[in-house]
Amino acid sequence: MSLSPLATQPTVSATMAPHSAAAARPKVEIRHLDFYYGANHALKDISLLLQDKSVTAFIGPSGCGKSTLLRVLNRIYELYPGQRATGEVLVDGENILAPGLDLNLLRAKIGMVFQKPTPFPMSIRDNIAFGIRLYEKLPQSELDDRIEQALRRAALWDEVKDKLKQSGLSLSGGQQQRLCIARAIAVRPEILLLDEPASALDPISTQRIEELIDELKPDFCIAIVTHNMQQAARCSNYTAFMYLGELVEFDETETIFTHPKERRTEDYITGRFG
Amino acid sequence: MGIYARRRLTNLLVMGLSIAATGFGLVWLILVLWTLLSEGVSALSPALFSQMTPPPGSSGGLLNAIFGSVVITLIATAIGTPTGVLAGTFLAEYSRRSRFGEVVRFINDILLSAPSIIVGLFVYVILVVPMGHFSAWAGAVALAIIVIPVVVRTTEDMLNLVPNALREAACALGAPRWRVIVTVCYRAAVQGMLTGVILAVARIAGETAPLLFTALNNQFWSTDLNAPMANLPVVIFQFAMSPYSDWQALAWGGALLITIAVLCLNIGARLLASWSTFKP
Amino acid sequence: MSSEHIIKSYDEELRRLNNAITEMGGLAESQLATAIEAVVERDSELAARVVEGDARVDQLQHDVDNLAVRLLALRQPMARDLREIFAAIKIASDLERICDYAANVAKRSIVLDQQPPAQPVHALPRMARLAQLLVKDVIDAYVERDADKAYAVWIRDEELDEMYASLFRVLLTYMMEDPRNIGPSTHLLFMAKNIERIGDHATNIAEDLYYLVHGRPLAEKRPKGDTSSLDVIAPGQAQG
Repeated sequence: MSLSPLATQPTVSATMAPHSAAAARPKVEIRHLDFYYGANHALKDISLLLQDKSVTAFIGPSGCGKSTLLRVLNRIYELYPGQRATGEVLVDGENILAPGLDLNLLRAKIGMVFQKPTPFPMSIRDNIAFGIRLYEKLPQSELDDRIEQALRRAALWDEVKDKLKQSGLSLSGGQQQRLCIARAIAVRPEILLLDEPASALDPISTQRIEELIDELKPDFCIAIVTHNMQQAARCSNYTAFMYLGELVEFDETETIFTHPKERRTEDYITGRFG
Repeated sequence: MGIYARRRLTNLLVMGLSIAATGFGLVWLILVLWTLLSEGVSALSPALFSQMTPPPGSSGGLLNAIFGSVVITLIATAIGTPTGVLAGTFLAEYSRRSRFGEVVRFINDILLSAPSIIVGLFVYVILVVPMGHFSAWAGAVALAIIVIPVVVRTTEDMLNLVPNALREAACALGAPRWRVIVTVCYRAAVQGMLTGVILAVARIAGETAPLLFTALNNQFWSTDLNAPMANLPVVIFQFAMSPYSDWQALAWGGALLITIAVLCLNIGARLLASWSTFKP
Repeated sequence: MSSEHIIKSYDEELRRLNNAITEMGGLAESQLATAIEAVVERDSELAARVVEGDARVDQLQHDVDNLAVRLLALRQPMARDLREIFAAIKIASDLERICDYAANVAKRSIVLDQQPPAQPVHALPRMARLAQLLVKDVIDAYVERDADKAYAVWIRDEELDEMYASLFRVLLTYMMEDPRNIGPSTHLLFMAKNIERIGDHATNIAEDLYYLVHGRPLAEKRPKGDTSSLDVIAPGQAQG
């Protein structure tokens, strides 16, 4: 099995990750992925790489399939009948689309944060502990430590350390979203999927989330879907531009935003889409 | 007349009609309550709660009937609630769009408005006849059959209100399906579900027809579930139709008791609903 | 996929930027042409007009800077738009320098007009006309966004450099032959240097244009024909 996917990419318009990235083994490799909502062909022959310890952003107009692509990575689409994916998605070399894979274990390895903050109807403490308790049996003190760690990393500890017993719903929108992020990283996943994590937040909260992503970058492989191009430009190392279910261009963020190779990409990012 | 004046007039007219209609409905409600209160309050005494139903002509109370009603209602709730909750969970979580789910929902809706006398007749045939005698068990089963559709409906509705994002968030952490339902969905919907149960109990508290064929009545104090058991609705039925004034007084008292109980349950349900910790 | 922005005012502002640069380019061409004519015709009035005309170019450069900063702050330009604005800033600066040099040439010609015609008479105008051609071509390339034309200008500057080198040697020879020549020859030398610098700035514009069009810089090292900095001439050695 070739370790260099660049050699096998034949598509005319899609461009692959630059050579500097080919040196390290990619964390996630997507090969010829197709996705269907019933009869609707939503993702068409997608192939790209996600590098570890970096942020990959997905941009594109509404309905281009970027959220769909993200939801394939932890197979959350399986909750709904009629949605299916074909192709291969290799995480650390293992195909996660293979039948018979334990989905719950997969999802414990791949964390996800959604657009709208979704704190559970429990105390803040229990929110974080929920995920940890699923797969680990920890003594109380260790559990408390993990919770504190997660909240510190999410830049939320100082604001909630005195009210851990209060319901998660009593926090503000930005705090709730950080709570969801803390909940996701508390289980120590290897990959973090962020689906428009800041789109429901005010500018200051948005910046805090972006700073948080920066801080988490050295330890996770992060994929972020965003409507906001400037956010993609600020946060990510690599950017993928998608349109109508196809991957149009995928490259280092700086290249995409200073001299993209595809006309469609340039039209989109300069605001020329008619 | 200008267009605004005409509209104002129409507004006043319709508002007047609405208020009149409301008043009309309220008048009867107030009359009923007032009648109950005025007739029944005279029967309210400590004796009501300490003595058994008497033979005609002597004084007594309703203790055995109260006890019987409470016991039968409790058992019916104990049977009906878990069944209803689980069925509602099945409909909401596992078969939102399946054909089978649609069929179940349809049947549930029919049962919801099934005449209670038919339920009583049905239980008579399947329980009372084979057992050979009336019993509190049969009464409880009949009432449970009335409770189940209500609880199924409210459970399903409340669970449907839980946003999918919450389920996805729990799944995304790697939680198995049942865990998501129990720890997240139930917790989110618990208020609504509880309200549904309370309303179901309020409904069966006053059901007479099913009990006529199943638990019947018992003049004396009995704690035997296998035997006919006294209960308020049937006692009221019997005493109210009788020519004896002291029996009639007791019937009014019983009616007042049931009304107060149902009122309390409904108020309790409403208080629970408004005490909101979960904002969807 | 249209080539106009969804927000029309953005296009409008970019057009204003483009027009400012084009105007500056036109002025650069005409300033240089007039300066050459002033030298050839020994017309001091014409030369004075060139010197006055430099103020307009300076004003235009400020306008370009302001407009560019405004666009950067308010529009968050990306990709090609960003390169356009970046190039506009640099090209305006280069055009302003070209006009400065043209004005300098005009200024010195006024001094030379007070004296009998300096030798050699034709070398400088010949250089200047080539420089004028380079400037014209690079401005045309900018208007058409033609990177190949820009590359051609970029290469031709070598010719200008060579002309300067040979003129340098000739003037040194004159100066060594007769001390009375030193004054006018020095002026001519400075004027020639100015014209050679005009050519260099034209190549800068060419490089900026190339980057604008292709998104990566002209990687080659430009061929330099000016060896004058390395020339040593001993007295008595006459060349050219």
